[in-house]
Amino acid sequence: METLALPSYRAQDAAVSARFARLRQRPVILDVQNLEKAFVTADGERIVALDRVSFQAHRRELLCVIGPSGCGKSTLARLIAGLEPCSGGRVLLDGKPVDSPGPDRGMVFQGYTLFPWLTVLKNVMFGLEVSQGLSSNGAELEARQWLELVGLAKFSASYPHELSGGMKQRVAIARALANRPRILLMDEPFGALDAQTRAQMQSYLLQIWREVDITIVFITHDLDEAVYLADRILILDAHPGRVRELMEVAVPRPRQPAQFRSPTFAAARRHLEELIHPPIEVAAERLPLRRMTVVGDDVE
Amino acid sequence: MSPSSSPPWFRPLAGLAPRRSRQLWALSFVLPLALWSVVSYVPFIWHPMLRVTDAGDVSWLTPGELAPRADVERENQAVRARGGHPASGKPANPVFLPAPHEVARALVTGFTTPPFRQDEPWLHQSLWHSIQVIFWGFLISSSVGVPLGILCGALPAMARLTEPFIEFFRYLPAPAFGALGVAVLGIEDAPKIAIIVIGTFFQQVLIIANTTRRIDPALLETAQTLGASPRHLLLRVVVPGVVADVYTDMRVLLGWAWTYLIVAELIGVSSGITFFINQQAKYRAYDRVFAAIVVIGLVGLGTDLVLASLGHQLFPWLKTARRGWFSHAVAFARRDRTSPRPSEGAGSPAAEEARV
Repeated sequence: METLALPSYRAQDAAVSARFARLRQRPVILDVQNLEKAFVTADGERIVALDRVSFQAHRRELLCVIGPSGCGKSTLARLIAGLEPCSGGRVLLDGKPVDSPGPDRGMVFQGYTLFPWLTVLKNVMFGLEVSQGLSSNGAELEARQWLELVGLAKFSASYPHELSGGMKQRVAIARALANRPRILLMDEPFGALDAQTRAQMQSYLLQIWREVDITIVFITHDLDEAVYLADRILILDAHPGRVRELMEVAVPRPRQPAQFRSPTFAAARRHLEELIHPPIEVAAERLPLRRMTVVGDDVE
Repeated sequence: MSPSSSPPWFRPLAGLAPRRSRQLWALSFVLPLALWSVVSYVPFIWHPMLRVTDAGDVSWLTPGELAPRADVERENQAVRARGGHPASGKPANPVFLPAPHEVARALVTGFTTPPFRQDEPWLHQSLWHSIQVIFWGFLISSSVGVPLGILCGALPAMARLTEPFIEFFRYLPAPAFGALGVAVLGIEDAPKIAIIVIGTFFQQVLIIANTTRRIDPALLETAQTLGASPRHLLLRVVVPGVVADVYTDMRVLLGWAWTYLIVAELIGVSSGITFFINQQAKYRAYDRVFAAIVVIGLVGLGTDLVLASLGHQLFPWLKTARRGWFSHAVAFARRDRTSPRPSEGAGSPAAEEARV
């Protein structure tokens, strides 16, 4: 089989390494320290979902979290959001420990979680009214600006069931950002979308991220998505969920879809693939099938 | 499948074309009516009685009377054996099964003919009386039952505190409280309203609590990440999140309230539609009995259709939502309210004219 000779995934050109140097200078917003999460099953068995996970995210960084299924990616996001209690360790946001959900950590879920009984505009106004205490007029003004930003101003009077999946997630992003959170947690937000819409949403997200002062922790299982979006990628192992590596993506910014075919991109992607689908596991993926067709009628 | 063909009949959850849906709706009324007509008008289907036209030599018959056909037949054989003149008449159904046209006639005459006795209420008076009793019973039950049900659904502590007792109490049959109700509340409408409340309330709390528990927990989590306090979660997420389903529950519960009304009215209190039915049965005016029963059905069906139509308009976020008479009425009312009011002389004919 012919394979391309790729550069090392660590090789960074001068501009990229200067960028990472600047990023490291930025203040730490999210500091996850030895975070642990264990469940006890009905049989009394203790299952460790996350085992001493530590990492930091700097201000305006876009950090992707990736790992095989069952590595506790979603649990990690829920712990940072404060939706579940952790079994050990702690999450610091701007140096202050986090123990319950709050408007300083916006979240976008994979499932569509717009409030179906509110119009698009009212959905975006929700957080502004309940947590910022804005009056209805003030919230509306603010919400319209955020809808403008995600390009959905003319759908402000629509109800969620009238929108496509991609539009719903754009509203959800606008709704989370309208609260001016310190970080935005995104738990496989584009997982349910078709490939074209997903590519479009990735491009939208990068545009928004450039224009808004926001740190993003983006959970995904899609390797291309992680490489395309991230500054750094946190790679988790499964059973128990542990940090395997925190990798700097050497692909220069601004990112463009054409970079999917660049050697740097391919190198980063191949590294992820080797970590997440090691060759041993690929070999173990053979099904115990026997021939059920006529001899000679083969399709390789 | 060609684009114009309807989905197959027997595929589960297959959609219905609007035309077919309307046809089936009508057919669901036409079929029972047709069955009733066949039994009433086709002589050889049932007709176990004889409407006597000529009593002949049968001593115990009088013309115009309804007699069992088998008995008359036996008597006629005896009469013929004695060389007498047999009785004759037309086959008929028993008095308790009037034909559709008789009931239809009674539906009209029921509202136009005075009651048998002066002190008895008319059909429409009885009906109106019952509707008022239902209204108050349902209103009292709902004003406590709906908030309590939503609270039980939203707050596990509240559910734990109240639901076990409610589960116990709902098995106590509401009519069992009839005698108690009369003893405590007297013989007017109060005990009837009480029975409707007892019959409805406990089911209502449990049903609405269950409906509330079905709310998508992801919506509550989202609201929390947006900074909603527990009070916000209850008032701005749970309540609007379940209101459309609660509305549907209430339509079902209103049907139950009608059942409890009939029960309540049987408890020795002489008013309402059940009393009317009982009185007409005593006079053997079965056409009026059926007419009154049909009227109850029509009122129930009519209420439900109006409520269903209102529901489609009250909850514009549902896929079934559509604009209709209600939103037009609201728009009309709003337009009226926001139109500039003359500051002085409002209400006078001149001012009204000036506004127009």
